[in-house]
Amino acid sequence: MAIRRPRRYHIYDSLPKLRLEKCWFCSSTCYPGHGVTFVRNDATVFRFCRSKCHKNFKMKRNPRKVKWTKAYRKLAGKDLAEDATFEMERKRNRPEKYDRELVHKAVGALKKVTAIRATREARLHTLRKSAARDAEKAADLRELEQSIHLIKAPGVLAREEEERLRESVEELQQTEAMQE
Amino acid sequence: MIQPQSYLRVADNTGAREIMCIRVLSGAKQQAAGIGDIIIAVVKDAAPNMLIKKSDVVRAVIVRTRKNVRRKNGTSIRFDENAAVIINKESNPRGTRVFGPVARELRDGNFTKIISLAPEVL
Repeated sequence: MAIRRPRRYHIYDSLPKLRLEKCWFCSSTCYPGHGVTFVRNDATVFRFCRSKCHKNFKMKRNPRKVKWTKAYRKLAGKDLAEDATFEMERKRNRPEKYDRELVHKAVGALKKVTAIRATREARLHTLRKSAARDAEKAADLRELEQSIHLIKAPGVLAREEEERLRESVEELQQTEAMQE
Repeated sequence: MIQPQSYLRVADNTGAREIMCIRVLSGAKQQAAGIGDIIIAVVKDAAPNMLIKKSDVVRAVIVRTRKNVRRKNGTSIRFDENAAVIINKESNPRGTRVFGPVARELRDGNFTKIISLAPEVL
């Protein structure tokens, strides 16, 4: 009764998938043997690098709103969004004809491009940090000004204000006397 | 992971809409059928005035499963629903059209007709 079919394997089964696709959720690379491909009924393909991303997709989360994804970081200006170094890693639908010279050049360029990207990312990071530090400082100053009464008693403050006023008045009188 | 009592959507134009698995024909040891396996099923829901009627007993081949299929190259693929295509004794589809994406695993079982009819093979 039972029909035993021998499993046959095709060339596509034995070869590793050479193209490294990006994860739909977190935009990291899906390496061979990792993750799940989900095919919706309208034949849209979603690739996930790990079960974490797959689960988040099943929970119908928007990658733009989840803080650890590339989509969020780019949108929030935390990572490089547009840069010439991204042009190297791009989806090309037409396969490049093998050329020894070209391969040699590309592999050489790979290191340089990575180094350039690293420095640019570091620069963006320091810029962001310095901006944040400035903002923090301004906020601290504002707080100090607004809630000074917590440190100094109101009476002392009033006296100080009076003194400052008197000083300025005296200064004004002096300058007037000098002019005359 | 299809076993007796599992309901499957029918992805062709034979007129059946939904079938229920009553037997898995893929070896004595295996209990659950996957993509490319043949099952015997009963038609639970069918369109009126078509080739296949409700409560007909049919042979069908599974073309999509919600459980992911592990491929030899390390990739894993999963679909939205469990779906089957109704076939005859010679493993040819009884309908003339196939709907939705189907898995490439069908080629292993010589379902080339279904592969060629399918709008998308993944």
